Amino acid sequence: MKYPAATLFDRRLLIVAGKGGVGKTTIACALGVVAAQLGKRTLIAEVDGAGRAAYLLGVQPGAIGEARPVRPSLSVMSVEGSAALAEYLEIILPVKRVLHAVVSSRLYQYFVAAAPGLKELMTIGKIWYEAERIDESTGNRLWDVVIMDAPATGHSLQYLGMPRAAHDVFRSGLVGRESQRLLDLLCDPERTAVNLVTTAEEMPVNETVEMYQRVRDELRMPLGHLFVNRTHHTTFDAATLDRLERQLPKLRDPDVRAAAAEAVNRMREEMGWSSINRTYLERLADEVRLPRSEVPFIFTEEFGVEQVRVVAAEIGASLIPAARRTHKHGRS
Amino acid sequence: MAGLDDILRAHRIIICAGSGGVGKTTTAASLAVHAALSGRRTMVMTIDPAKRLANALGVRAVGGIGSAVAVDEIPREMLSAMMLDQKGAWDQLVERHAPSAEVRDRILNNNFYRHLSQSFAGSQEYMAIEQLCELHDAGAYDLIVVDTPPTRHALDFLEAPQRLADFLDRRVVKWFVRPYFSASWATMRLVNRTVGFLFRRLEDATGISALVEVSEFFTSMSGLFEGFEPRVRRVYELLRSDETAFVLVASPEEQVLSEAEYFCRKVRDLHMSLRAVIFNRVHREMTRGRHAARAADIGQILRQLVPDEAQAASLAENFARYEILGRGDGLRIEAFRRLLPKDVAVLEVPNFNSDVHSVDGLRAMHPFLFAA
Repeated sequence: MKYPAATLFDRRLLIVAGKGGVGKTTIACALGVVAAQLGKRTLIAEVDGAGRAAYLLGVQPGAIGEARPVRPSLSVMSVEGSAALAEYLEIILPVKRVLHAVVSSRLYQYFVAAAPGLKELMTIGKIWYEAERIDESTGNRLWDVVIMDAPATGHSLQYLGMPRAAHDVFRSGLVGRESQRLLDLLCDPERTAVNLVTTAEEMPVNETVEMYQRVRDELRMPLGHLFVNRTHHTTFDAATLDRLERQLPKLRDPDVRAAAAEAVNRMREEMGWSSINRTYLERLADEVRLPRSEVPFIFTEEFGVEQVRVVAAEIGASLIPAARRTHKHGRS
Repeated sequence: MAGLDDILRAHRIIICAGSGGVGKTTTAASLAVHAALSGRRTMVMTIDPAKRLANALGVRAVGGIGSAVAVDEIPREMLSAMMLDQKGAWDQLVERHAPSAEVRDRILNNNFYRHLSQSFAGSQEYMAIEQLCELHDAGAYDLIVVDTPPTRHALDFLEAPQRLADFLDRRVVKWFVRPYFSASWATMRLVNRTVGFLFRRLEDATGISALVEVSEFFTSMSGLFEGFEPRVRRVYELLRSDETAFVLVASPEEQVLSEAEYFCRKVRDLHMSLRAVIFNRVHREMTRGRHAARAADIGQILRQLVPDEAQAASLAENFARYEILGRGDGLRIEAFRRLLPKDVAVLEVPNFNSDVHSVDGLRAMHPFLFAA
C-alpha cells in the first residue's frame, strides 16, 4: 500500500472527494499549492462550486470553464456541466451559426435539462480535456496536474460513475467512444488517483469507508491518498482537569470563577474531540488501506488564504520527503 | 417573535432543510423528541441517521416505520420514526405507479434505465415529499418532522418536484416517445433544419440502437406518469400551506452561510414560510460578555489554580484558541441575522463534544432550542 509520496504529484489527475462539509475544497487548494511549489503547472478545478476555491486562493473567480491564474504555476477554474457541454459543442461544431441555432433552441434547452447524466458526463469530459490539453505555443501539455474538487460523496459517485454508465448504454456512437477515452484516463493508476477527505467523526468516516469500497469495487478507479482533516490532539491530563474543576467553587469572585470554569469546559471539549478523533482514526486505519495524512484543526476567526497556506505546509511535510522539498523540480 | 416551541405547536409539518454536514438529521430528531414530550403524536421522517440514532429512534429497516425506544416521559406511541430509502427511489416510484406488472418490468429491465436511473433528477427528494403527503393525508400524526436528503444545495429539495415534472414534461418526452423510425419523426427532421441537424448529431452520438432504447424507455414512462402534474401541484400546495414551516439548519461556517442566505431568499420567493434558523456547532466568545475583564487575565488565574506551569499555560492557550473560534462564529452569525426578516427565530446550539445519538442526547439540545 505504499508508494513514494512524491509520485502522487506525478499523476495527471488528482480527484479530491468526501462528505459535504469536511473541507474538500480546502484540501484541494492546499494540494494545488504544494504541487505548484514542486514546479508543476497546476489547475484546480472546482466542480459545481460557488467560487470558494478561488476565494481560498485569494483571487476573484473567473468565468465558468476559464482558468484564472493565481500565480505563474497555479490556476483555478469553476466547472459546470451545461457550460462544459456548450464548450464541447463549440469544438465539434465549427460553424458558429449552426452552433448558435442549436444552443438557443428550446428543444436543446429541454434536452440538456432533462437528459439524465449529461451534465455529469460533460463535467468529467471537461476535466479530461484540461488534463490532456496541449499548449499550442509550446507543444507541451498545458497542465502537469489537474486537481478536481469533486462534489459531496453521493454526487461524486454519480459523476465518476457516469463515463462507465454512458459507455455501457451508448456503446457504438460518439458518446460511447468519448466515454471510453474518459474511462481510460480515470482508471489508469499511472495518471489518476482518487483521494479521499474526511474528518475523524462517525458520519464522515462511515461515508468515507463506503466511498473507498465503491471506488475500489464498483468504479474500479485507482485510489490515492486519505486526508484526515481537522484533527484534535490534546494530551492534557484528565486528572489535573478534574482537580481544577473541584477547586472552582472555592473561587469567590464570580467573574474569575466563570472564566476558570470556561477554561475547564473548553479543555473538556478539546479532550472530547481528541478522543473521538482517536477512535475514528483507528477505524480508518483498519478499514481504509491508503497512505494517510492528518491535518490538524486550525483555530482561526476566519478561514482564508493564510489558513490554506498552513494546511499546504502540513500536507507538503507529510507527502514529500524533506530532500525533495528543498529544491524545485521542473518537468521531467 | 414566536419561539421554536410556538412554531412547533402552530404547524403540522416541520421541514428541516440545510446543506450537508450541518446536523440536520440530529436536529430533526431533537425537535421530534421535544414535540412528543409536549404531548403531540409525532413522526420523524429521517434520511441517513447514524446507526445509534436509528436504534434510538427504533428504525432498523429502510422504508420501515418504527417506534422510538421508550424513555421515561415519552410513551411509545407518541414518537415514531421512518427511514427513507435513498438508493432505490426511482425503483420505488416505478413500482408504485406502474399501471401493470408488465410495464413495470419493461422499465426496470430497460438498459437505459438500469444504467442511468440514479442520475435522473430529483427522485429522492420527490419520494420524500410524496411520502410526506401520504402521511399527512392519513392524519395519524399531530406533527411530522422531515429531515431532507443531502443535496448539493439546500434548495434542491424545494425544486425537486418541479424538476421531476420537467423531466417528464410532455414537450420533452414527446420527442423521445415517438417510435424512432416513425413517419412523424422523419417529417419533423425534414421540416425543421435545426431539429434535423440535432437528431442527426444525436444519432451519430448515441448509435441508433441506444436511441431505440431511450425511446422505448420514455414510451413506457409516459403512461406511468399520467396525472403526474396534479400530484406535483398538490405537493407544492402542501409545502406552501399554513400547516408547513421550514426550519433552516446551518453552521457558522462561511460557505454554509452563503448558501443559507440564498436559501432564505429563495424560500420566500417560492412563497414558503421560513420560521426559524438553527445554528449547530456554535462556539461562543467569552470576552464580549460581562466576564470580559477576567477572561483577559485567564492565564494568571489558571497559574494560581494549577501548580504545573506547563499545564496552566496549555489550559490558557486552549482557552484563547476557542475564544478565537467564538469570535469568528459570533461575527458571522451576527452578520447573517441582520439579513433575516425579524419574524424568523434564530437559535444557537453549542458544539457538543460527544456524539448526540441517544434520546437523552437529543434532549440535551433542548435547553438551547427551547429556552424561554
